[in-house]
Amino acid sequence: MRIIDILRDANSNLWRSKIRSILTILAIFIGSFTIILNTAINAGVNKFLDQQIENMGGDGYLEMMPTEAYESAMSMISTSEPREYTDEDDTISYYIKDDQIEAIEKIDGIKSFDVLYPVSVDYFTSDKTDKRYKADSFNLIVPGINIDMLTGETPDTSEDAEYEIALTESMAKALGFETADDAVGQTIKIAVPNAVKCHSMPRNECVAIVEAKVSGVQAPGILSIAGSRANLALWNRIYDINYDGAPEISKPRPPQAVADVDPEKITEIKDKLKEIGLSAMSVDDEVGMFKTFFDAILIVLNIFGGIALAAAAIGIINTLFMSVQERTSEIGLDKALGMSSAKVFFSFSAEAIMLGFWGSLLGIIMSVIAGSVINVLAHATFLKDFPTFNLVVFDPKSMLAIVGIIMLIAFLAGTLPARKAAKKNPIDSLRYE
Amino acid sequence: MKDLKSLLVAKDLKKSYGKHQNVFNALKGINLEIKEGESVAIIGKSGSGKSTLMHLLALLDAPTSGAVFLEEQNTSKFKQKKLNHLRNKDFGFVFQSFFMNANDTVLNNVILPLKIAGVRPKERRCRAMEALKIVELEDKAKNKAKDLSGGQKQRVCIARAIVNEPKVIFADEPTGNLDSATGAKIEELLFNLNKEKGITLIIVTHDDDLAKKCERRINLVDGQIKENTK
Ligand SMILES: Nc1ncnc2c1ncn2[C@@H]1O[C@H](COP(=O)(O)OP(=O)(O)OP(=O)(O)O)[C@@H](O)[C@H]1O
Ligand SMILES: [Mg+2]
Repeated sequence: MRIIDILRDANSNLWRSKIRSILTILAIFIGSFTIILNTAINAGVNKFLDQQIENMGGDGYLEMMPTEAYESAMSMISTSEPREYTDEDDTISYYIKDDQIEAIEKIDGIKSFDVLYPVSVDYFTSDKTDKRYKADSFNLIVPGINIDMLTGETPDTSEDAEYEIALTESMAKALGFETADDAVGQTIKIAVPNAVKCHSMPRNECVAIVEAKVSGVQAPGILSIAGSRANLALWNRIYDINYDGAPEISKPRPPQAVADVDPEKITEIKDKLKEIGLSAMSVDDEVGMFKTFFDAILIVLNIFGGIALAAAAIGIINTLFMSVQERTSEIGLDKALGMSSAKVFFSFSAEAIMLGFWGSLLGIIMSVIAGSVINVLAHATFLKDFPTFNLVVFDPKSMLAIVGIIMLIAFLAGTLPARKAAKKNPIDSLRYE
Repeated sequence: MKDLKSLLVAKDLKKSYGKHQNVFNALKGINLEIKEGESVAIIGKSGSGKSTLMHLLALLDAPTSGAVFLEEQNTSKFKQKKLNHLRNKDFGFVFQSFFMNANDTVLNNVILPLKIAGVRPKERRCRAMEALKIVELEDKAKNKAKDLSGGQKQRVCIARAIVNEPKVIFADEPTGNLDSATGAKIEELLFNLNKEKGITLIIVTHDDDLAKKCERRINLVDGQIKENTK
């Protein structure tokens, strides 16, 4: 018997008991739909993250903090149980110490290195508006990271540069600039409190206004979530104002440092930092943490998809056993007329594979439709700022792989009934009726 | 008797069904020889073992003991592949109950042996139509098999049995369900094939008239040959 005939017959046999086959296909569809959509969302998010990382160019970027601080932050995430206090838990001691700074400077492969002092800022305003805007997301441009600019330039990061800031698009609008382009080259005002004065004076009298040039406006991306970014000169100026006149002992110590290092040596450098009591994370590590979290969600969803597929496999076994039962005399006739057991086996397996094929094809079609709808909805709502980011990205290769795997599962499920059919004795089957 | 080659030889064929105390001996030591081109009737009462014997000779089933020789070769030594090939190419079957795929078309039912043989669609359709022409059913080719009358079904089964141009036709009660006129038509058809194409006929029947038309009659009683007459 020719393969094409077997496949054609298998397909037409499938539609003999329509409702039964459709229900089985539906079960396969639910499983494949879930898994295909999950995979596509995973691909979309990963593509987005990869793009962002590439934009940042942060191959050599390292963020470091005292290992104790890192561990206490981690254990805070991982447990909500009360923990016993030890003397090492003294959080005030979690800062980068002078001897550590000296040690860092000696490590080979570090191109530049900055300790980050925390600063505080009250609000932003400009000549274009009477309103004041809270500056609760405000960051420093660190060396080694490219800020993706919508317009204008990245602020000059040298220590003796002008005071410059890269605004987020929404902050630029709020400060009265009609378009992002209008903001470039303009000046904004930053209200900076002084720790000593604000101790005794009303807030509006204890702040100093620092003017900063808007060097450009950031393009939307994961970095822009962290807010407007000052250059080092502006940051240091703000720090100086914050603690002018304050006793040395009350000035905050740097809880973190950042470095731009040779990407080739990054693991080596991380090890060396570990030796001097600093935990360092690269961009990959940080994104990796996010990915791990995200993957965990997807794994759960995929388990649901897997359970649906397992149920579908049982459905395939069931429907094919019924089919074998119904077609006993037909099988007997085929075998009496010289059809080999292998061909009988294959014709039932083909039916199972076809159930898998139709189910996963339906899964592909519906998930592509659902994916497009999700993308449109997402762009209209929470992804408004990321017009180029598709939450759901379909990769033909992985879709084909999923279809292949589902057809394999269907085949394996079909082997049980197919073996029963293949083993039938033609005479017994012919007597059946 | 013409000097013909031996086609099928049964040597002490026994077949029993069931196990232990429920054993039933359907055939109790059958010895016979059928020559090429012969027409042989197997007769006997219901339950005497006629169908059982035919199935063994047609290599559809294996005997409990004894052996069937095909062209002087012991068929118990044949591989499954060879058995399949023989049944598909050299044997034609008409079963006691029709055994058709009722929901399929008449044409597809006749095509089945050719499809199993792997003949290409065009050729197999052509050959099936020829076979249907012989049984005068070409105008029913597109009908569903279940919509035919009993006699028409029987003729479809004969068309299916001859479509692969077999050397031997095994027919179990080919006229069993028919009126005498239709039965006569089918008898004529079978004996024409026997005479014109030299196809060996092995016919299981209750019908004395049909049996008499055969060159030889094998009378089974309780699983044993009582008479083997010409
Ligand atoms: N699979 C089986 N299991 C048990 N007994 C069987 C089986 N097949 C046949 N028999 C028994 O073997 C005996 C012979 O059966 P067989 O079908 O050969 O009879 P037959 O001569 O063809 O009868 P009929 O003219 O009614 O068709 C019967 O008694 C039948 O009950
Ligand atoms: Mg019988």
